[in-house]
Amino acid sequence: MLDSPSHSDGDLLRLAFAGNEQAFLAFYRRHQGSVFRFALQMSGKVEIAEEVTQDVFMVVMGAPKQYDPKRGSVAAFLYGIARNHVLRCLDRERPYLTVLDAPENDYSNRMAADQDLVGELARTERVESLRKAVLALPPAYREVVVLCDLHELDYAEAAAVMGCAIGTVRSRLHRARALLMEKMRAAERCAV
Amino acid sequence: MNENERELLDGLRALDAKEPREPSARVERFLLAQFRARARRRRLTRWGSAAAGIAAAAAIAVAVWVAPRTLRHSPSTISHGAPRELPKSGLPDVALPTSPQPRASNAIVQADEVAASFYPTPDADALPPLETAMVVRVQLPMSSLRWMGLPIAEDLSGDPVQADVLLGQDGLARGVRLVPSSLRREP
Repeated sequence: MLDSPSHSDGDLLRLAFAGNEQAFLAFYRRHQGSVFRFALQMSGKVEIAEEVTQDVFMVVMGAPKQYDPKRGSVAAFLYGIARNHVLRCLDRERPYLTVLDAPENDYSNRMAADQDLVGELARTERVESLRKAVLALPPAYREVVVLCDLHELDYAEAAAVMGCAIGTVRSRLHRARALLMEKMRAAERCAV
Repeated sequence: MNENERELLDGLRALDAKEPREPSARVERFLLAQFRARARRRRLTRWGSAAAGIAAAAAIAVAVWVAPRTLRHSPSTISHGAPRELPKSGLPDVALPTSPQPRASNAIVQADEVAASFYPTPDADALPPLETAMVVRVQLPMSSLRWMGLPIAEDLSGDPVQADVLLGQDGLARGVRLVPSSLRREP
């Protein structure tokens, strides 16, 4: 079975390029979750995240030989494509996107559904304000938090995705965490 | 990492755990449809290239088998009237040397066939100078030679005749050479 981990990403891409549908499907299923989550955490919108996921795998389908194992992991390659598409979407949507006042169809509404316990609500509210704080970060800081803290990429991988030096990743992450803590403190003060 | 940062990371992990993990099935369906369409297009392109390659190879094979000769033989006349001179600009420099050359393909092409010269086609003067040439042997009704300005007797006009057609680099005919052996009639 091509779904098994014994098939490397390189094998799957090679087979997919030769027209093997099962190989493409296995590759997609292996990586779609991380690409989708990255796009969702960067944009805050399910529609954008799905659009970006679709675009990333269309790029892979069109030119699977673009991936060079010497330049990093497949995950880093996919995050790199996703990042470009997300930033383009954010630029396009900027006039309409109000991060702190999420629209009605935002996935946060789905998340909050069916959570009626008081304790759970408090925790959910805290997570929700953290989500808003992440989305309110400038994209350069947001992406480093998403990649390093949410997707647990190491500094070198994140640097490869972002196309910058490892030192830049480290300093941006430090700054981003400081901004988040500041925002969370401000949110708590407002709640009190 | 201090206590605040640890708390922040715990919060971020909780955030990650609460979010949707996968796109909807619509994305997979769309991508699968695209993949199939691409695979179909690729198969068609491959088939088209292969067919074109086979056709080209077949054309070359036919040309080589039928008349694999470049123009390295002396001009001579045949019995049907005097041939006109080909315009100087109409033939390549390598064509028509003064002495007959022995040919490896003599088994296929008889010497007397090789000895014939080309009659220029009526519009040869108007065509660009010959750079490369190919000779293709065809079978024509004798009557079609009137187009060349040859005096063909009425009683012969229905007879078939073999001729070599000199094609230029643009695929247009520059001259025609009759194959004398095909002109001999049974008594």
